[in-house]
Amino acid sequence: MYKNYVDTSADTFPLITLVGPPNSGKTTLFNYLSGKKLKTVNYPGSTVDYSVCRIQEKYNINANLLDSPGIISLIPGSPDEQVAVSSLYAHPKFGVPDIVITTIDASQLSRHLLLTKQLLESGFRVVVVLTMTDILKKKGLQVSASRLKAELNAPVFVVDGRTGEGIPQLMNKIGKLLKKDQLNTDRKISAITEKKDFLKFYGEIEKIENKVLVPDPDKKKIAKANRKLRILTDPSAKKDCYKIDSTTVKIDKYLLNKNWGLFFFFIIMSLTFSSIFWLAQPLMNLVDSFFGMMNVMFSGLLGTTWYSDLISNGLISGTGAVLVFVPQIAMLFLILGLLEDSGYLARGAMLVDKPLSRIGLNGKSFVPMLSGFACAIPAMMAARTIPNRKERLLTIFILPLMSCSARLPVYALLIAFIIPPENSFAGGVVLASIYLFGIISSILIAGLINKFRDKIIKAEDNSSFILELPAYRLPKMKVVVHNAFISTKLYLRKAGPIILAFSLIIWLLTYFPNYNPEIDAKDLSKVEYVKLQETERLSGSYAAMLGKFIQPVMEPIGMDWRVGVSLISAFAAREVFVSSLALIFKVTDDDDTHLQNSIISAMRNARVESSGEKLFTTATIAGLIVFFIFALQCISTIAVSRKETGGWRIPVLQVVIFTSLAFCMTFITVNGLRFIGIQ
Amino acid sequence: MRTAAELKFGEKVIINDVDTEHPSSRRIMEIGFTPGQEIELINISAFNDPMAFSVRGTIIALRRNEAHCIKIM
Ligand SMILES: Nc1nc2c(ncn2[C@@H]2O[C@H](COP(=O)(O)OP(=O)(O)O)[C@@H](O)[C@H]2O)c(=O)[nH]1
Ligand SMILES: [Mg+2]
Repeated sequence: MYKNYVDTSADTFPLITLVGPPNSGKTTLFNYLSGKKLKTVNYPGSTVDYSVCRIQEKYNINANLLDSPGIISLIPGSPDEQVAVSSLYAHPKFGVPDIVITTIDASQLSRHLLLTKQLLESGFRVVVVLTMTDILKKKGLQVSASRLKAELNAPVFVVDGRTGEGIPQLMNKIGKLLKKDQLNTDRKISAITEKKDFLKFYGEIEKIENKVLVPDPDKKKIAKANRKLRILTDPSAKKDCYKIDSTTVKIDKYLLNKNWGLFFFFIIMSLTFSSIFWLAQPLMNLVDSFFGMMNVMFSGLLGTTWYSDLISNGLISGTGAVLVFVPQIAMLFLILGLLEDSGYLARGAMLVDKPLSRIGLNGKSFVPMLSGFACAIPAMMAARTIPNRKERLLTIFILPLMSCSARLPVYALLIAFIIPPENSFAGGVVLASIYLFGIISSILIAGLINKFRDKIIKAEDNSSFILELPAYRLPKMKVVVHNAFISTKLYLRKAGPIILAFSLIIWLLTYFPNYNPEIDAKDLSKVEYVKLQETERLSGSYAAMLGKFIQPVMEPIGMDWRVGVSLISAFAAREVFVSSLALIFKVTDDDDTHLQNSIISAMRNARVESSGEKLFTTATIAGLIVFFIFALQCISTIAVSRKETGGWRIPVLQVVIFTSLAFCMTFITVNGLRFIGIQ
Repeated sequence: MRTAAELKFGEKVIINDVDTEHPSSRRIMEIGFTPGQEIELINISAFNDPMAFSVRGTIIALRRNEAHCIKIM
């Protein structure tokens, strides 16, 4: 799901590579030309890997298009920039590009021309694309494409990758260029490092800038006739394009305020996490009653046969128990998307840079940490934007502590056990506290490891925080909703089969060998008889036999083998825990039309077999929540951690430390709560 | 000589020099802070660090110690 899209069917086609500074519209253009829907975000550094795709057939160009992470010069400063530079010079699969399209944000002309000039001097065949001309227009200015073309001696096109404006002309030129043979394929690296070279380069760029920036024709009409065709040579007019967005400055006066900035940060983050719960509640009820109804219908229809049990228990309850919580996952994606599109992320990074740098992290750890709440896998990849290696590794190390979306169904069920669903306000607060607890733990652990590691690794890398703060803008609802929908769909496609498969496996393990226990039926009513029979069957099942092994480990933390089996199956996918509880505690005994309610009432009735005490109490539920906060139960996370850190050391440490920590913290929570009198 | 880290709010100044001893100096020049450019202090974050400057039509956040290598007149 989180692999980047690489169409490997045809690597013999010519290659067109998109490079440009961060946030200059590369991915937007890539999506338009390829018909793909990669995510675009208002944060410098949202693309951290390359993606390759064929250009859509309608353009009549047989070529691969490669999108790359943003770079500001040809000397990479962080792993994501390294990906972009390598894909220019020595892409392992596609080689050297035939054409390089470089995007320039027209409102950032002088800064973005630096890379273009480097590319031209390095001998690439460059096509320049001017984006964001609408923003420049608001400042009453325009870039003259023909003049820029003459200055750079390279084709220049004005394009809006959101509307497709200018695309036909661009593609026409590319088609023609591809028919011509390239003169040479030798590429040098024209990378400037010396101050005098910067001065020379920027001097040339400013000359170009003066020549190509012209007043916008709409504005021109209003202006005096004699100013009509004047080139902007006087510095006061040029200053217009250096004006920064005044609304952004005003908003930042509050959101980045020295005293209030952190307060607003805290409010925004808490609202983000608590609103997941509030907003999803109505939708959740709907899905919930749907599965409840299905269950009642099927068990009524099929009677008490093994296949009725398979369908209503194994399939509907097992998968439904998780699907009930999908609205919450969708809300999480939606809210994170809104935050990403607003431009606030870069501010968040700036606000937390100082405290995070104290514990060996970086302000740039903030965005990976936040996306860790959706999934640790893209989050670990997002850590590529952190230039300092030590800070990057430490960020990756603590990312599994960010409660990912797979944990949401587990938390939601456990919260619903303690807090009635009517009180969704309290539920939201508890959920936000769980997230906060995860964050605080991760900070403590990072601090500890940082202290410890300074003794082991002596190498001092330069720690740096240089980040562009993009202008604020109203999130585009249509795009954000669409992205959240796609993410949810991908989530279902990835997790769905695993949940289904494990529901079946657990059903098999709990249903078989299915012998008929002998029960003295004399003093029992029919209902009691069936109940007792089922209990006896479960304790003789294969699941119970397996469970006996883990019983000794589960007892100290107040659980029994049934919870143990569920915890182990959660290693396949954390959500399976919920399916497993639903199956093992046989929720269909109930006629409740709400699936969630029947799971909860089944949990309430569950008793520890040896002592007869209630199995799920406030203490054990809190213990389970703590277990899920710490435990690293995700195989894909381990694999990505290995890839991103370049070895097994960190992923192995993560599994050992987080899993043992989960057990210890659960032990402390359950017994601590009992000690102070909370059962 | 003063540095960008000592700027006051609303004060517009011209960069005089960039101290190339600092390991971040190359990135600072790449991102647009070059001698002759006008900069303005826009924001200082909580804990007095990092700071945000406007340069060449955009806002860039830098740590205080990095702002120290931008010399102003
Ligand atoms: N106003 C305006 N915004 C654009 C234009 N092209 C792209 N954007 C937006 O700019 C942001 C950054 O674009 P993206 O493609 O992710 O940039 P990348 O970092 O270079 O890949 C996105 O939110 C786009 O929607 C444009 O021509 N005009
Ligand atoms: Mg991108």
